[in-house]
Amino acid sequence: MESTVMTERLRVGLVSFAHVHAPGLASTLGALDQVDFAGIHDDDEKRGRSAAGAHGTRFHPTLDGLFAASDAIVIATNNADHRRYTEAAAKARVHVLCEKPLATTTADAKAMIEACRSAGVQLGTAFPVRSSPAVMALKAAIAAGSLGRIRAVRATNPGQYPGSWFGDKRQAGGGAAMDHTVHAADAIRWLLGDEFSRVQADLGSFIYGLDVEDCGVMTCDLAGGAFASIDCSWSRPQTFPTWGGVTLHVVGEKGTVDIDVFRQALTHYDDTAGRTRLLGWGDDLTARMVAGFVDAIRADRPVPISGEDGLRALEVVVAGYRSAETKRPVAIADIRA
Amino acid sequence: MPLRIGVLGTGFAGSMHAHSALAIEGAEVVAVAAVPLTDATSLAKECDARVASAEEICAADDIDLVVVATPTYLHAEHAIAAARAGKHVFCEKPLARTLADAEAMVHAADEARVTLAVGHVVRFFPEYRQAKELLDAGTLGKPAIVTMTRGNFAVGSARGWYLDEDKSGGVVLDLMLHDLDTVRWWFGEPSRIYAKRFKGNGGLEYALATIRYDDRPIVQIEASWAEHSGFRTGFELRGDRGMLVHDSRAASPIALQSPSGPAGPAMMATPTLHETPYLVQLRDLFARIARGAPPLVDGHEGLRSLALGLAVIRSADTGEVVKWKAPS
Repeated sequence: MESTVMTERLRVGLVSFAHVHAPGLASTLGALDQVDFAGIHDDDEKRGRSAAGAHGTRFHPTLDGLFAASDAIVIATNNADHRRYTEAAAKARVHVLCEKPLATTTADAKAMIEACRSAGVQLGTAFPVRSSPAVMALKAAIAAGSLGRIRAVRATNPGQYPGSWFGDKRQAGGGAAMDHTVHAADAIRWLLGDEFSRVQADLGSFIYGLDVEDCGVMTCDLAGGAFASIDCSWSRPQTFPTWGGVTLHVVGEKGTVDIDVFRQALTHYDDTAGRTRLLGWGDDLTARMVAGFVDAIRADRPVPISGEDGLRALEVVVAGYRSAETKRPVAIADIRA
Repeated sequence: MPLRIGVLGTGFAGSMHAHSALAIEGAEVVAVAAVPLTDATSLAKECDARVASAEEICAADDIDLVVVATPTYLHAEHAIAAARAGKHVFCEKPLARTLADAEAMVHAADEARVTLAVGHVVRFFPEYRQAKELLDAGTLGKPAIVTMTRGNFAVGSARGWYLDEDKSGGVVLDLMLHDLDTVRWWFGEPSRIYAKRFKGNGGLEYALATIRYDDRPIVQIEASWAEHSGFRTGFELRGDRGMLVHDSRAASPIALQSPSGPAGPAMMATPTLHETPYLVQLRDLFARIARGAPPLVDGHEGLRSLALGLAVIRSADTGEVVKWKAPS
């Protein structure tokens, strides 16, 4: 009986603790019934061993060691390293769930998709917002036509500046726009069943003295005629009671919907820490996202959020950077050319 | 001698200004106009004023100031007639529907040496004034990114002329103009604009604009006639040393509900300030007129904010970035 359960589990490893989402991903891999947490590899051995110890899993000194123990891996490195690790995993015939953004260039993203396709493994992109019950309800309502035609979306994904490599263009591929555009871009594509066609971006480095932007607003056209904007700023002050948030204001012909994905939170006025914090109690979106990926691999179906989805969201960022340079709207078709 | 006022228009703005004037010492409402005239009866009665046509009010001997609260496309005709007859003019925003009309109004007032004031009332809202003070004091540091929002139900469904783009300018000149004027007041003249908008059935309309300055800040403004639960405003003002947040939905000190469903003013009043910003605006104007001082927002200033609104519409219509240079 026990051995049957074991063979049904998917062995999933984690590459790197460089990303701020890595602790949440590791906890998820340790907690999911359908997953055997196969261990952690990190090119920073000290960080990797400490994380493995904290999460009760093995540290693999070599990538090949992790691949040998895994059916799939989750990549939580810096953005620029996604391609390298994905190509290595594909070569080892290991499925990949990659942190967002999928890559820092569309060439890298396309190479990752191709590497996985030709190796016959699946590539997924980590977009947990699709797992929000509120966002899923909105998707169903839009699909059923309850809101009429959707004409406009104003999305925000503002956050605190995460520090570390996130402000280093070489490792992150950009700043706030690279970090925070894709969650909202993916949610908008998915909700509307439509594709972005044109992007105007206004970016600035105004708060932290970084070489990359910390403020930004993308204003986008969709092919079907709707328009959408995305606030991707690292605008939340250090005294803000939480890391940031994701909101969607969706205007349809028959109704307007407001979603605040992480609104479910207790307010903690903490005299000990001398500050106020929001303590989220909503569903664990990371767990649901990873479970969705794992279940698809186990059932040999396409993963719910693909590498192509990651590429489409990245295209909005890349077009945005070009728009910010040229101070003009940029067609998505032009950055594909 | 009291300031004698004629009010043109009995919609939201006209009645608000008439009621405000009633509460100001040294001011009296002597005549009220509407089309049709019978629409002015009840407001005139409340003000103990006579019902008169706009033409009569603009020409009357016993009127010192004309409040122009008619549909936007009629502002110029009424304001110019009043100014030429030597009356001060308080004109609702937007100053006019077109720049040419606005210029003619400013010219007429300058020629007649009368005051032309424009009702950019947000400059009298305490939350916006306080934000301005904090900005000017440097409390927030240098402004980095600012988002502003203003929404209402589809007003076009209630008042038909709003539906006609040529008469009203839609949600941009109705709602967004408040925040465009505020942005000029807070940060000065921007450098470029990018905007999108849509119009739907039943008066639905929605617009987004990004207002850029040469360096900083980035400003995004949302204006919506798709806020079906009613009027709301908000802003987030992020400077490099802090952030200021306003949300009208979270700022009401009183809320009423009743077992019979949505309860209105019939059950009880739900005031939020002792004096509305509309009243403070008029009192400030009357005091300035009395001492011969210019109004806080004069015709030239109203014209520049209107021009910014028209630039937003131009960007939305063309899909291109519009460079901004304020009319002198």
